[in-house]
Amino acid sequence: MADWLTQLRTLLESIATPLSLSHPLVILPLNVLAFWLGLRLYRRTGTPLLHPIVGASLLVLAALLILDIDYANYQRGSGALYLLLGPAVVALAIPLKQNLTMIRRVGWPLMLGLLVGAVLAPLVAVVIALALGGGRTVLLALTTKSVTTPVALALAQEMQSVQSLTAGVVAITGIIGAVFGPGLLKKLQITDERVVGFALGVNAHAIGTVRALEISALCGAFSALAMGLCGALTALLLPLLLAT
Amino acid sequence: MSLKSAAQWLGGAALLLLCELIGRALVDLLSLPIPGSVVGMVLLLVGLLIYGEVPSGLARVSELLLRFLVLIFLPASVGIYFLRDLSPRDWIVLMTAMVIGTLISLTLTALLLNRLIQRSNGRQQREQGNG
Repeated sequence: MADWLTQLRTLLESIATPLSLSHPLVILPLNVLAFWLGLRLYRRTGTPLLHPIVGASLLVLAALLILDIDYANYQRGSGALYLLLGPAVVALAIPLKQNLTMIRRVGWPLMLGLLVGAVLAPLVAVVIALALGGGRTVLLALTTKSVTTPVALALAQEMQSVQSLTAGVVAITGIIGAVFGPGLLKKLQITDERVVGFALGVNAHAIGTVRALEISALCGAFSALAMGLCGALTALLLPLLLAT
Repeated sequence: MSLKSAAQWLGGAALLLLCELIGRALVDLLSLPIPGSVVGMVLLLVGLLIYGEVPSGLARVSELLLRFLVLIFLPASVGIYFLRDLSPRDWIVLMTAMVIGTLISLTLTALLLNRLIQRSNGRQQREQGNG
């Protein structure tokens, strides 16, 4: 709780500073504008490759370079958004509750598959990175690759891994899964929409869920359920695993 | 916006914040290695399962938050362009692990789930045949 109060105090202090390019009153509209443009670009093209996080973050980068604002000042100016990350994680409980009623229809064999999938997703990537001689920073960032970003960021803070790298790895993983996943599964003659949805949700979190929704509502619902459970499961198990 | 819906909205926001703060306090108190906000999410989930439905103010606030999720974690994402302490080799390892790892785990998960569904369908059919 102490870190939350520190965050709040930093935010209030940054608002109290005289108006400059890195003042929250400049940085926040910049963020909103980049987000809005990124969203429009994504809606127009409709490809997961241009997910709003890609367009929006590139636009912010361009603005920071042009206005000559350094990243630390930009972060301080964005304090209000950091404060919303916690409530956003808590808010994930609502879709999860709504989707949980599906479990009874799915049956427990599928839940077993979900559990194994949630372990496999980070494990395969970590094993590959280990085999290629990846460093500790890389390995830590990969452990949360298939978890929805707000949860991954909370975990990164907890495990003292690099938050930005974590966010990047999550976004890229989601894009890869959403772009190549459905085609790959079709080649393997896996056409059951429940299975496709589950696999996308476990491996490609929110970005995969958006893709699953394009296939069908059933596919999307299974993806959302898998994403929520996978996120909660990883958040509860991973820190315990790393602590030992 | 009517006064009633404004009150519901504020109530929903307060409930989210309260869950987060309780989660954080619990984590501090028991020195758990889990993020406080995740504990808050589990608390809210259990509460909603007991309560049976989602209060409308809470549903509206959380829908809004989740719709702006990309904006909320935008500052953290931008940081990837400012990482200095990763070597080119680290980047190659990272990209390989992400691309190949994601495709492999996606395939394995789907194959496993397919097998499990077929088996449980088969069992149901056998049981129906016997009955």
